[in-house]
Amino acid sequence: MIKYFIKRLLWTIPVMLGVLVVVFTITYFTPGDPVMTILGTGYTPERYAAMAHEFGLDKGYFGQIGSYIWNLISQGSFGKSFASNIPIAQEIAIRFPVTLKLALLSTFFVVIVGLPLGILSATKQYSAFDTSLTAVALILCAVPSFILALLSLILFGVKLRWLPISGLDTWKSWILPVATNALGGIAVLMRMTRTTMLEVIRQDYIRTARAKGLKESVVIRRHALQNCLIPVLTVIGSNLTMQLAGAIIIETIFNINGMGMYLMQGILARDYPVINGTVILIAFIVCVMNLAVDLLYALVDPRIKAQYTSGKRKAKAIRKLRSAKTEVE
Amino acid sequence: MSLLDIKGLTIHYITHQNTVRAVNDVDLSIDTGKTLGLVGETGAGKTTTALGILRLIQTPPGKIVSGEILFDGKDLLKESEHNIRMIRGNDISMIFQDPMTALNPIMRVGDQIAEVVYLHGDCTKEEAKERSLHMLETVGIRAERSTEFPHQFSGGMKQRVVIAMALACKPKLLIADEPTTALDVTIQAQVLKMINELKAVYNTSMLLITHDLGIVAETCDEVAIMYAGQIVEYGNLEHIFDNPKHPYTIGLFKSLPSLDKDVERLSPIKGLMPDPANLPTGCKFHTRCDHVCEDCKAIEPAYQEIEPGHFVRCLRVERGEI
Repeated sequence: MIKYFIKRLLWTIPVMLGVLVVVFTITYFTPGDPVMTILGTGYTPERYAAMAHEFGLDKGYFGQIGSYIWNLISQGSFGKSFASNIPIAQEIAIRFPVTLKLALLSTFFVVIVGLPLGILSATKQYSAFDTSLTAVALILCAVPSFILALLSLILFGVKLRWLPISGLDTWKSWILPVATNALGGIAVLMRMTRTTMLEVIRQDYIRTARAKGLKESVVIRRHALQNCLIPVLTVIGSNLTMQLAGAIIIETIFNINGMGMYLMQGILARDYPVINGTVILIAFIVCVMNLAVDLLYALVDPRIKAQYTSGKRKAKAIRKLRSAKTEVE
Repeated sequence: MSLLDIKGLTIHYITHQNTVRAVNDVDLSIDTGKTLGLVGETGAGKTTTALGILRLIQTPPGKIVSGEILFDGKDLLKESEHNIRMIRGNDISMIFQDPMTALNPIMRVGDQIAEVVYLHGDCTKEEAKERSLHMLETVGIRAERSTEFPHQFSGGMKQRVVIAMALACKPKLLIADEPTTALDVTIQAQVLKMINELKAVYNTSMLLITHDLGIVAETCDEVAIMYAGQIVEYGNLEHIFDNPKHPYTIGLFKSLPSLDKDVERLSPIKGLMPDPANLPTGCKFHTRCDHVCEDCKAIEPAYQEIEPGHFVRCLRVERGEI
């Protein structure tokens, strides 16, 4: 199990290197010039050259990517922002907690609303409750989060004036970003839970549990729920990572100073170190999340746990076989 | 008085398209400590009858239309949901057909047995645990394997676990739904022997559902032959094995290979079981019967006692024509 964990953790390194190369290449070949963006109009060619040299932009593609990776590995540095000259790590350290809090809060609501609704929907299949919930879920799945964000902003922020429209100053200002970020996830998780639950409650072992004389609520909680956790965990994990990506849109709309907005500003200003740094961090979190979900699978399902350890057993058996062979020889 | 007395039990599965008449007017009774074999083809309504006794029919689409199930003098169909839960697993327990899927894959087998003991046993968790270990050893599984999961067991061992679970609360009635069908022959014998021994120890009555007449001959005191949701013949072992009356029962025996007679080919019953959503009029078996007459197609035969304890549902037997 530990071996598996370390192996998977090491695998994130090539994945992130791949992400880095792709992002670097895209930003390199994207039209636009960070030096011109900063200097504006009316600069001398000498100033331009000096600044380009300072940023290391005169080195060409391989020189730039080489020195970026070298700095990252040797000093653990993401470089400095072109625009503000502040180290990226420092900027991210301020903004990342905001984005993470937003994502965790949204995911929290996705789970506490989506999971029970999905279970109820399955246990009361084809009831009026189930049918109406399905209709709502389909609408929520189909509407992109930025439309939802803008519409709710207009309704609750501008027309009704119940909730603030930007920033994160009071608890009230969290409601709209978290809600618009979570609604889509709730719909997806609800549908997933319903489908899985419907499959699980038709299994023979659920009938066995009922034949024991257990209460229906205990049957669902103790026997059915755990058995449908695998797909549900997958949805929750991918939801959390999607929330991070969705932060770009939500933070821009609600004017929240998080990583998403930072990335957006970086893209607009062609501030390459900002783009690279934030995207690598997001990629890293996605990798870690996937690993965490995979490890949780093993925790939930002993059959999966057995698979993880079987590699070790196989290796042991092979070793035994080899030593036996050498003895014979 | 008999422990279980089923009278006129009728169970339908009602869907938008049609009504599947799975069990029609079934009468059965089991005495304390006795074993009743319920024999029939796939789809005859055996499992539905069993699930009906425990009120475990999925509703909808299933519905117990009429009848009464007297257990210890109480009509199970009139009991409250709470009372029926107290009976399930405690007074009446069930061994399911497929051991591969009958156990929760992510729960330790010991816990699965202890769960039912703790629920009905009026004991602490430790005592329930203790009892589960004892039950595992009773069915021939070492106690230290109780912390393992079902996927670590072979099919035969899983069925032993299911049996341990079913007998953990010393039920008065054990419903065994084809307990050996999914097992290979050597394991079949072991499992049957074990069920018989445990049944004797706990003085449990048993409803054994099977389509294997060999198993019936070994284990049962009485036999009910089921066809298209009806009991077509009922009696003790001698009645059914030595003096079968209903053409379907006779057909079943003819389709078995015999060591005594040297025959070229077996003679199976021709045709197929009728669609339970579209049952024929009159006798349900007339479409496949060798002795069919015009009346058989129109008149529904009554369930007649032809000698003490021997019931047959056949018009021509009733008239003494065959």
